[in-house]
Amino acid sequence: MLRNVLARFFTESFFVHRTVKYSPSIQATSSPFASVRNFTDVKDESQQEFDTSLLEFLVCPLSKKPLRFEVATNELINDELGIAYPIIDGIPNMIPQEARLVQKDSDSPAQE
Amino acid sequence: MAASVRPLLERMIFRRSSRAVFVSAADGWRPSPRCYATPSCRSFSGGAAEKSTHFGFETVPESEKAKKVYAVFENVAHKYDVMNDAMSLGIHRLWKDALLRAAHPQPGARLLDVAGGTGDIAFRFLEYVGSQKRRRDGRSASWQDICEKDPGNREEGEEGAARDSRVVVCDINKEMLKVGRRKARRTGLADGVLWVAGDAEELPFDDAQFDIYTIAFGLRNVTHVELALREALRVLKPGGRFMCLEFSKVTHPVLARLYDAYSFQVIPVLGEVIAGDWKSYRYLVESIRKFPAQEELKELLEDAGFCCVGYRNLSGGVVSLHSGFKL
Repeated sequence: MLRNVLARFFTESFFVHRTVKYSPSIQATSSPFASVRNFTDVKDESQQEFDTSLLEFLVCPLSKKPLRFEVATNELINDELGIAYPIIDGIPNMIPQEARLVQKDSDSPAQE
Repeated sequence: MAASVRPLLERMIFRRSSRAVFVSAADGWRPSPRCYATPSCRSFSGGAAEKSTHFGFETVPESEKAKKVYAVFENVAHKYDVMNDAMSLGIHRLWKDALLRAAHPQPGARLLDVAGGTGDIAFRFLEYVGSQKRRRDGRSASWQDICEKDPGNREEGEEGAARDSRVVVCDINKEMLKVGRRKARRTGLADGVLWVAGDAEELPFDDAQFDIYTIAFGLRNVTHVELALREALRVLKPGGRFMCLEFSKVTHPVLARLYDAYSFQVIPVLGEVIAGDWKSYRYLVESIRKFPAQEELKELLEDAGFCCVGYRNLSGGVVSLHSGFKL
């Protein structure tokens, strides 16, 4: 196994521009080098859907209260505190410093 | 990958090192009251003097550390897996396998993998649970199984869905999550994994949600370890298990010298050659030296409220696997 890893490391780290097609396999231990070569493949990245099954887990990190998914702005809103967490590329960004204040008059970024 | 080589390799590495010291600390467990007047909460009070912490061998204000760590992982995200293989000669896969084997998750378990960016633990979890399920299905059917399979008795579809294992990967770094998600789609495991950008010190999850909480090689990057541990305790169900894989102090003196030489001479060079970033990898090896050793981390876990805390050294103490339960 190690020999394989070393061999591939030495060959493929110097041939990063070679494009190789990988068929999806069920094995979890796929080649780590795939991510190096294919990160230019961004076509399917831009319009990721938010997986709503996450809503059963997610709460506001500050108040630990449930959130409302706002489809229009693609945000998770905590109505109580008036803050909105953005969903970027289908990944909810639950970091408090990057939440947005949802107020009628101002739109400044929220602080912790 | 020859199936026969792998167990041999594991025996070589583990036999030399691991004393299976799962020390039962039930008698030494001091239930920590949920009081917030601890020094680690000073960051909540405005106007107090800024505490400093370590960023590798540098000393930086606490507010800076998170930003610097973010920048490190943003830079290395795309080469993270390659570098892991290069630096550890592929052994990190065995460490992660050991974590999963120790956790021994069953089908239907819910895993929270914090600082799990590229998803290594998450994918292994899904594989493990999948193989457990196949083993279970392969056994001769019990009366319960036969009754459940009877279409007349079949319960609502949600019952079946509730039995599915879920993994939530939470990482503060969005680049690492994107790399992980791409990997998931490539390996066909995208369905069972949910990706969330969140802070380990303030997890966006409700109380008592998860059966297992893992943090593999991420705890030393957290600014306030005690807060992260407290959050871990909160989101675990009663009976849930906390598992932490982290670089630690090497016990054998000769091995320690070799390990130091390798860490400081070879790893930053590899970082420069492969990822074009030697500073990030110098931070990596320095942060390992600054992180608490096995016993101190065990004490931190006990202080946070975990029971039956124990640890096991892997590869001679290069990595240690800590485990604690929420009871």
